[in-house]
Amino acid sequence: MKFKDYYEALGVPRNATQDEIRHAYRKLARKYHPDVSKAADAEERFKEVGEAYAVLKDPEKRVAYDQVGSQWKSGQDFQPPPGWDAGFEFSGPASDFGAADGAQFSDFFETLFGRAGRHAHAHRAGMHSQGQDHHARVMIDLQDAYRGAQRSLSLRMPVMDDQGHVTTQERTLEVSIPKGVRAGQHLRLVGQGGPGLGQGAAGDLYLEITFKPHALFRVDGRDVYLNLPLTPWEAALGASLSTPTPDGPVQLTIPPGSTQGRQLRLKGRGIPGNPAGDLYVVLSIALPPADSENARKAYRAMAQAFDFDPRTHLKG
Amino acid sequence: MIQTSITFIQGAVVEEDVQLTLLELCQACRAEEENVLAWVFEGVLEPAGESPENWRFSGESLRRAQLALRLSRDLEINPPGVALALDLLDEIAALRARLRRSGMG
Repeated sequence: MKFKDYYEALGVPRNATQDEIRHAYRKLARKYHPDVSKAADAEERFKEVGEAYAVLKDPEKRVAYDQVGSQWKSGQDFQPPPGWDAGFEFSGPASDFGAADGAQFSDFFETLFGRAGRHAHAHRAGMHSQGQDHHARVMIDLQDAYRGAQRSLSLRMPVMDDQGHVTTQERTLEVSIPKGVRAGQHLRLVGQGGPGLGQGAAGDLYLEITFKPHALFRVDGRDVYLNLPLTPWEAALGASLSTPTPDGPVQLTIPPGSTQGRQLRLKGRGIPGNPAGDLYVVLSIALPPADSENARKAYRAMAQAFDFDPRTHLKG
Repeated sequence: MIQTSITFIQGAVVEEDVQLTLLELCQACRAEEENVLAWVFEGVLEPAGESPENWRFSGESLRRAQLALRLSRDLEINPPGVALALDLLDEIAALRARLRRSGMG
């Protein structure tokens, strides 16, 4: 296990005031919040910053961390000294640990503060209460949204036994994927969430739909995009081409005089629904290589045949 | 790891087929009722119905409420700030979509 320097994560000195720590956290949290930032490592950075703040904002945890942490540098191998937390009293459930969203802190954090954080999960409600609603994100094929499908989805869930040990429970759900479902939408599976207490009903399970990345198709809401390369003569003269769609190939008419970047819309061939999305075929023009005498001859013949200057607009 | 039984389930698409009561919305995103009331007051969520007991939230509210909850918790933003952030995020998403459609994204 590596030692984590929480002061370094927030960019504050070890003697920073609580106000300075809060300022530093807020600034970094706004910068790296995954709902706001588009940076690739935003989620990871945001978790680091959140973990550091969860410890340093709480004077009890900060003192405990300082006690352990003063001899270590970030990234060094770390074992907590035996009995390091003797004499510290943690004042009850750490309910603001991001537990509501299932945020996972590092092993390092769990080792130091695991016991103090765990009690947050204890049931506080009465004898009968409804089970919690659960959430999971699942990946499906784009084709499944076109046709509807029945799929086995594996879900893994951390569960805690009576001694407070966390294990992973896996279950497989046979789920009907409705035709026309889109990325970002949720499927509600009634009664598939957490079990109720006493005679309380089970909670619901919400599955957030995402599409597996596809080699050919790009999805934007209801609409689907395909890049279609053309030869110069197909673009110039027009053509009729067999074109893949998520629902199988179609015969597509390329109008004469098509230019690079032109989009052909196949109305209603996006994700089905009311209204159905559209499929956009984005044209690009690929030049054949001049790698044989015949090919070079053909290019020279073109040069002869055309009185064509694409750079007239560059001349003053 | 423990394997449990296989079940066969038909789900409803929340955004299209589901309307949520105040209680259901709070349970689904584990938000406190007072937070949801504050977001409705600020216009983050726009339920149909006259009074909180009769409110019906559209399925789309689920995503918005989750986003509002994350922003208010992680960034310590108050309800008016959450409303502003969501408006701006909506606008950014619309602009990005326009960029993509014009082939520049």
